Amino acid sequence: MAKQSIVPFGPQHPVLPEPVHLDLVLEDEVVVKAVPSIGFVHRGLEKLVETKDYKEYVYIAERVCGICSFGHGMGYCQCLEKIMDIDIPPRAKYLRTIWMEMSRIHSHLLWLGLLADAMGFESLFMQSWKLREEVLDLFDATTGGRVIFSVNCVGGVLKDMDDSMLKRIVDTVTDMEKELRPIAETFLRDYTVGTRLHGLGMLSAEHAKMMGAVGPMLRASGVSYDARKLGYAAYGDLDFEPVTAADGDSFARCEVRIREIFQSIGLIRQAAAKIPAGPIAVPVKGNPNGEHFMRIEQPRGEAIYYVKANGSKFIERFRLRTPTTSNIPPMLEMLKGCQLADVALLILTIDPCISCTER
Amino acid sequence: MEQRKHEPKIHPWRAFPFAASALKNLFSKPATTGYPFEPAHYPDRMRGHVEIRIEDCISCGLCARSCPPGALKVDRAAGTWTINRFDCVQCGNCANVCPKKCLTIVPGYTAPATGKSSETLTRPKAPDTPAAGRAGGKPVNDAGKCVYCTLCAKKCPQGAITVDRAAKQWRLDAEKCVGCGICAAACPKKCLTLQ
Repeated sequence: MAKQSIVPFGPQHPVLPEPVHLDLVLEDEVVVKAVPSIGFVHRGLEKLVETKDYKEYVYIAERVCGICSFGHGMGYCQCLEKIMDIDIPPRAKYLRTIWMEMSRIHSHLLWLGLLADAMGFESLFMQSWKLREEVLDLFDATTGGRVIFSVNCVGGVLKDMDDSMLKRIVDTVTDMEKELRPIAETFLRDYTVGTRLHGLGMLSAEHAKMMGAVGPMLRASGVSYDARKLGYAAYGDLDFEPVTAADGDSFARCEVRIREIFQSIGLIRQAAAKIPAGPIAVPVKGNPNGEHFMRIEQPRGEAIYYVKANGSKFIERFRLRTPTTSNIPPMLEMLKGCQLADVALLILTIDPCISCTER
Repeated sequence: MEQRKHEPKIHPWRAFPFAASALKNLFSKPATTGYPFEPAHYPDRMRGHVEIRIEDCISCGLCARSCPPGALKVDRAAGTWTINRFDCVQCGNCANVCPKKCLTIVPGYTAPATGKSSETLTRPKAPDTPAAGRAGGKPVNDAGKCVYCTLCAKKCPQGAITVDRAAKQWRLDAEKCVGCGICAAACPKKCLTLQ
């Protein structure tokens, strides 16, 4: 056995957007083990639920993450709606679906940019983020915020979209689809990208399931599982199939995310065509009493929400398990046997969101 | 573990896919706006900062109580409304809960500053101001005229009114009531008066 050495990696590293620390046990340049530690950006947001009115906490729940902010607000509201037995209007469900899919496009384009940046492919990074800007502008026009939307409330949504706005969304995403094609072609066919990603960080379907991978990580290993198929919000009325790839390597994860952007564009078009007229929220009176557990598919994977209420206006416990938490064990598995120079890229392929994980 | 087992597809004719856009960018206008030399354009719905029509404010304090970061302070006795714009996160909750709808969230950011400060506005005390005239009063029900329709209870932003149709009872939780006057305005029989 070669002599082992330990190299600290992170929490500050040029390729990491957020702080995570890994102790990499190396044999020469090959990683044999990675020991993670987190806790650099803990903010105690779950604890805040005990001191904030349950209707106010929506604004805090969505501040858990800057990318999946819409989903966190929606997951929390859906839990409370189940506890309080509120049936939200169908229009609100469709609006939530449209915003959720816009979030997915925004998150995946961000990730594609970060991936290109990690590979040193600067022009591809710029192209991806330039395209992402259009979704952010749509968010700004429809919700009033580019990153934090504040449109979810218990009982529905706070802002409506008129027909001209829906048309603008559909037109913009259709244009984006055209602009995305050359970018997608480059990711999927370019020699440099292919050489860097093919066969890197293999994760078999059995391993992915055993280690609890979620989202694009799981689907890139050939497991057809997508929490949107549970039919929450308006997903039950929309026609889609989970995007999967068989290879289980970094290239497959990139491919799944690119195809999911196209799928999200299709879902936005379907939802905009089917959206019913009517109210966008129902009035909510009283305080919640009971508990509920639910899953939603965030851009990064399945997120779990648990709310326990005790009949007062303060929630007793709010628990959120984010996709990155589930994807860290498979990431450690992937890191075994890789080269030290590939570690940064492999961490990036799980699309880590550490501030989500630590809340 | 076997690494890089796939042979990437090589397409030499696609060697410079972004060359066209790079050339175009050289000779076209910048994609970004020239702020601060050009004014920034904000969409209508943009949540930039909170504004108040202080003459309509009744100092009920609902905004301060429901502000997630605690950026607002309301002093009922002095009739002041104070905002710390550096704590405000522009969630818009104050504008949603305001019973008089005198709070609005409007586009455009507030100016940067070198130190943290608060902004205090005082409600005009002129007796002829309609809001000031109603402020502070609690609703009193004229049981003779009341039809127990429960509209007041439904409209009450604080849930301070309970109406029992069967027992013909109208009750006010004086502690919860902020005297906003919404119940009196909603009452179809005009049997509620603020005193």
